[in-house]
Amino acid sequence: MNIKKTFLAVASIGAVSGLGLATYLFWPISYQQRDFAGIEGDVSRGAYLARASGCFACHTNAKTKGPVLAGGGPLKTPFGTFYAPNITTDKKNGIGNWSLTDFSNALTHGINPKGENYYPVFLYPNYTSLSNQDIADLWAAFQTVPPVDIKVPEHDLKFPFQYRFLLTAWKKLFFKDERYKPNPEMSKEWNRGAFLAKGPTHCAACHTPQNLLGGKDYGHELNGNANGPDGEKVPPITATALLKNKWTKKDIVFALRTGTKPDGDAFGGSMGEVVTDGTSYLSDQDLSAIAEYVMSVEHKNGKSVVKVKTQK
Amino acid sequence: MKNIKTNSILTAVVLTGIAGFSFAAFAHGGAKGIVKERMDLMSNIGKAQKSLAAIFSGKVKYDAQAVRDAASIIESHAGSRIPKLFPEEPVKDPSEALPAIWQNWAEFKHISDELKSYASALKANAGNDRMATNGQKKTSMGSGAMMGQKKTTMMGGGSQGMGAGGSAKSIKEQVEMLTKLPPMASFQKVAQTCSACHTKFRKKKK
Repeated sequence: MNIKKTFLAVASIGAVSGLGLATYLFWPISYQQRDFAGIEGDVSRGAYLARASGCFACHTNAKTKGPVLAGGGPLKTPFGTFYAPNITTDKKNGIGNWSLTDFSNALTHGINPKGENYYPVFLYPNYTSLSNQDIADLWAAFQTVPPVDIKVPEHDLKFPFQYRFLLTAWKKLFFKDERYKPNPEMSKEWNRGAFLAKGPTHCAACHTPQNLLGGKDYGHELNGNANGPDGEKVPPITATALLKNKWTKKDIVFALRTGTKPDGDAFGGSMGEVVTDGTSYLSDQDLSAIAEYVMSVEHKNGKSVVKVKTQK
Repeated sequence: MKNIKTNSILTAVVLTGIAGFSFAAFAHGGAKGIVKERMDLMSNIGKAQKSLAAIFSGKVKYDAQAVRDAASIIESHAGSRIPKLFPEEPVKDPSEALPAIWQNWAEFKHISDELKSYASALKANAGNDRMATNGQKKTSMGSGAMMGQKKTTMMGGGSQGMGAGGSAKSIKEQVEMLTKLPPMASFQKVAQTCSACHTKFRKKKK
């Protein structure tokens, strides 16, 4: 047996496989294009969605009490420090030069106007579920934000995460640009809740665990995340966990409205801000819908399962 | 000549006293002294919030007097009472207080004053006309929209306390507004104040 020949054979197979994998991972992604013909955006619906989507919380520096939507403070993650950009209508430092298409591509494809990938700390994996009307509404609302001339620092990331092209591979593995698809077996309320929780209100983004590469582990939907933002331990909010702590649907709605838990404690940590800047603006129906969805997700036999009701 | 029996009994009594005192002080997770005092204070506020939550979430029937009683407890525990329990000297005992407290002392004191004022407002407004059971949805829209101006904007209305675009209303002005609103609005102000402190000044779960 010729060792040299065997070695060469194995090395060649390895190289070809590696090349094949790399080609697959980095092959340009073709995204679904959104069509906005005949759609008119509504400012008040857009403003509501902006609250539901958490735009204000990330893109404003609460610590320094910076101008609203003019950029967030440093956000430390295992990948480095991120700075949420200025999204006011400022032409130099904001999104004043953007078109509706640019805005849509950012939210639904995770691509900036230069065609580069956004980091998924910007939650396009959740915002991609927005409908065309939702995006048009948001765009209309964002046009009303006065320009603020503040330049936000570039992200300060660890090697090799500063290379945006690597995110193409991440997207190939973990991202699918698609609108929310209603589940016909579930009620209208449940579907609204599922859309919100997995989409704009993105409960899942913090409350679902993630793997080393930052991809969400949906087999354990809503079952908590030990490595949450700012190193927080994010608790599980499956029906199983909530019932164990004696939460009812009413408690969830009340907590999202006021930040007060049934035991009298107030949300501290990031959830306090989620309520103050986001969920406290939502309608009773929407909070009820979120509660309906969350209460349908059971965690048993080591995974999360949606409990399908036999009656609607 | 000393009476040995009396001395023994006396010693036993004193030692029991010390043990008993230490036991009481070591309750609440082993905290003692000032850390225990402030944990007890927060615990009392929490109990009052728990009964208010049950009322305002509709779990129990609305009872204006119960609301006043709970609000009263919170009022008496807030204001200058809280900052007094956070002296600058480092404490040896484990504490959930973050260094941010002393780095932002004025803000810490201000939030405690807000808590007292809003609890007092809740006490005063407990009998106000109640509307929806699940309370006030904050408005996403700017005041421009409400006043019928042509240009509607998403700024302003919701940005309470969020930077330059936010509400610069004083505590006095906020309390004034609450007198015309349902009791739930006052409760929400109290709850928001609890969160404001906890998000910035209390250790997050790690």
